[in-house]
Amino acid sequence: MRRIGFLINPVAGMGGPVGLKGTDGNVDEARKRGAVPHAQERAERTLQGLKNQPDLFFITCSGEMGEDTLRECGIRRYRVVYWCGKSSTAEDTKRAVSAFLQEKIDIILFCGGDGTARDVFSVAGRLVPILGIPAGVKMYSAVFAVDAAVAAVLVSGSYGIRDAEVMDVDEEAYRNGILDTHLYGIARIPARANMTQVAKQVFEEPDEERAKDEISRFIQEVMIPDSLYILGAGTTTEAIARRLGIQKTLLGVDVIYNGSLVASDADEKTLLNLADRYPETRIIVSPIGAQGFILGRGNQQISAAVVRKAGLHNLIVVATPHKLRETPSLYIDSGDPALDREFRESIPVISGYRIAQRKKIYRSS
Amino acid sequence: MQTKIVLDEEQIPKKWYNVQADLPAPLDPPLHPQTHKPIGPADLSAIFPMELIRQEVTTDRYVDIPEDVRDVLRLWRPSPLYRAHRLEKFLKTPAKIYYKWEGVSPAGSHKTNTSVPQAYYNMKAGIERLATETGAGQWGSALAFATMLYDLKCTIYMVRSSYTQKPYRKSMMQVWGAECIPSPSNRTNAGRAMLEKDPETPGSLGIAISEAVEDAAGHSNTNYSLGSVLNHVCLHQSVIGLECREQLAMVDDYPDVVIGCVGGGSNFAGISFPFAGDKLTGKHKNTDLIGVEPASCPSLTKGLYTYDLADEAGYTPLLKMFTLGHDFVPPAMHAGGLRYHGDSPIVSRLVHDGVMRAVAYHQSEVFLAAQTFARTEGIIVAPETSHAVKGAIDEALVCRKSGEEKTILFNCSGHGNFDMSAYDAFYAGQLVDYEYPDELIKQALGRIPKIT
Repeated sequence: MRRIGFLINPVAGMGGPVGLKGTDGNVDEARKRGAVPHAQERAERTLQGLKNQPDLFFITCSGEMGEDTLRECGIRRYRVVYWCGKSSTAEDTKRAVSAFLQEKIDIILFCGGDGTARDVFSVAGRLVPILGIPAGVKMYSAVFAVDAAVAAVLVSGSYGIRDAEVMDVDEEAYRNGILDTHLYGIARIPARANMTQVAKQVFEEPDEERAKDEISRFIQEVMIPDSLYILGAGTTTEAIARRLGIQKTLLGVDVIYNGSLVASDADEKTLLNLADRYPETRIIVSPIGAQGFILGRGNQQISAAVVRKAGLHNLIVVATPHKLRETPSLYIDSGDPALDREFRESIPVISGYRIAQRKKIYRSS
Repeated sequence: MQTKIVLDEEQIPKKWYNVQADLPAPLDPPLHPQTHKPIGPADLSAIFPMELIRQEVTTDRYVDIPEDVRDVLRLWRPSPLYRAHRLEKFLKTPAKIYYKWEGVSPAGSHKTNTSVPQAYYNMKAGIERLATETGAGQWGSALAFATMLYDLKCTIYMVRSSYTQKPYRKSMMQVWGAECIPSPSNRTNAGRAMLEKDPETPGSLGIAISEAVEDAAGHSNTNYSLGSVLNHVCLHQSVIGLECREQLAMVDDYPDVVIGCVGGGSNFAGISFPFAGDKLTGKHKNTDLIGVEPASCPSLTKGLYTYDLADEAGYTPLLKMFTLGHDFVPPAMHAGGLRYHGDSPIVSRLVHDGVMRAVAYHQSEVFLAAQTFARTEGIIVAPETSHAVKGAIDEALVCRKSGEEKTILFNCSGHGNFDMSAYDAFYAGQLVDYEYPDELIKQALGRIPKIT
């Protein structure tokens, strides 16, 4: 019996259609502008795909945060472990996840957007896999299924686990036309291995951890002595550092020189200063977020100035085959359109030991 | 408007052509993997019959094809040469495109041209079983067919990723009475060591070769058989180019460009060596001989010309060739037959000396070319062959631009009837364009054994 922690952020996505670019702290304004909730409807689509699965049991919240929709779909195999008030808030999401964790759940299925993902992850961390049914205004995080129906297939079938970034978008800045994203954390989500197996092509390393090992083995082999290495955020770059015997910050940008850590969680200024002091600088980054940004999201410390200092030819992009399957194209938004334009139409992305995949690049400007 | 140019059965070549006779200097000798000294016939006699060892080292320009072998070759040879009128029209090229269709053999590719004589010489030497490796399954099925003809047993170590992807090739081997095992396997020390190191490995030709060689070396009634790379294999494949030269003469033509796909190099050698001979001896000095390889395993275009092992475990001699390093496991792309870290020593020498050249393409662009070919000429080619198709199309497009009326000949080495899942992946947009990160890799080749 698989135990699914299930919650809905009932107000998720309400801000979008009425031009609010996010609903966090703005529910009343959204309602005033005529917004209607649609998260339940999205969640229903997923539950329709799960209702005839006898081996699933739902741990959920009361009312519109879960129970109502389960009942409407005719699902009786559930238990309410968190009771929310009349109107739910971010705090309700966090407390509900906390209650789920007491119940030995296998996975958390939530319906919402980036804000909900952040709230779920802030409590669940990497303890259990999570999966989002997309219903938010913004979906920069990589923890969402492609659509509500796919979410049902993912949580009910057999799945592997892969890493996915949770992005923290500043909604206030976003409403003012500024996209300020940060890498909030790296969650574990069910991998789509079984869904892609339909074509019966077993191509690369089936296990993401082993794929990271292969990438790390290659990068270690081609590292040049007396060069500064700037490692961007993420678990793939973290695996490279681990192979070198260095403990790297998961979400920060760290700097390595001749096998030693010279800066941890470095900001742009530190990176520029270091790049000035050493003759050659190489940058290793991994695509971040659902869209697969290699610059400009989640690792803004590696600014256009830092990239220019190192030279575009010294930018090495690494990503597991799993990540690349989910992100068919890569994006750049360095903040310097001239630099963005200097990128060719495609780049090689190191995806294994002496293996690269050629991927198309899109510029945001 | 003649489309098909065919020879009579009696025009099957009576002799193989050996390009070694026309090389300006002898090939660098194969070296013993432990002593690094040149190997002699005795070193090879544990796994090859003496006649094949003789053919491996001979510098005679021609070697007689036994009548018994020619009788078997009659089943599909001479193979037809086609003028690709419809493809030319589609490309709006002034070039003339010819293709040699080797998919007419029982196994569906050029591989039977060498599997039959190899099985024949082993039978003559009293051998009871052959062990071999196969990548995409074309060589395995070709040897299964040949061993059946001469009542030999056959054990085939098939690269695991292909074993999973191409079940019908495995079925063909079974029909012809051979045993097919996914490699790495638990049958051999090399296989067990690899599985211990990496239980989920997709396998590679290098690993499968180690297994087959170990099997042959450990059983006195068993020899080893290789479907590419070696000199005697290239010799046997020369029937392709020899027939082409006759067929083109029938329409008063001679190629300006000769193209073949390259994994270990045998089909490219087969179509190009007779023309390389003409080039080396000054009869036709300007023929452009182009080997086409995958960007994910680009030994000729990105590799190093040096001595390296032919297999993963180090059982085989060291060969002087273009190599990506014997420990390189190429990504499991669809053209499984081109997943080899090295190349034929003769092809390598000719590329190194500038007699031939090589180009590399990504997976999705060669499938697009294969689709163009299927929609003009009708034949659905193997993923390996699609590399040669792409090379020919690109050359024809160069002619469209320049207005040159070149004669382009390419080897259409095999059909893709068992590769439809690869075409499905192409249409589903699931083909990954793998490539070799050569910019970062220079130090990586430091692992190759240093031979001075």
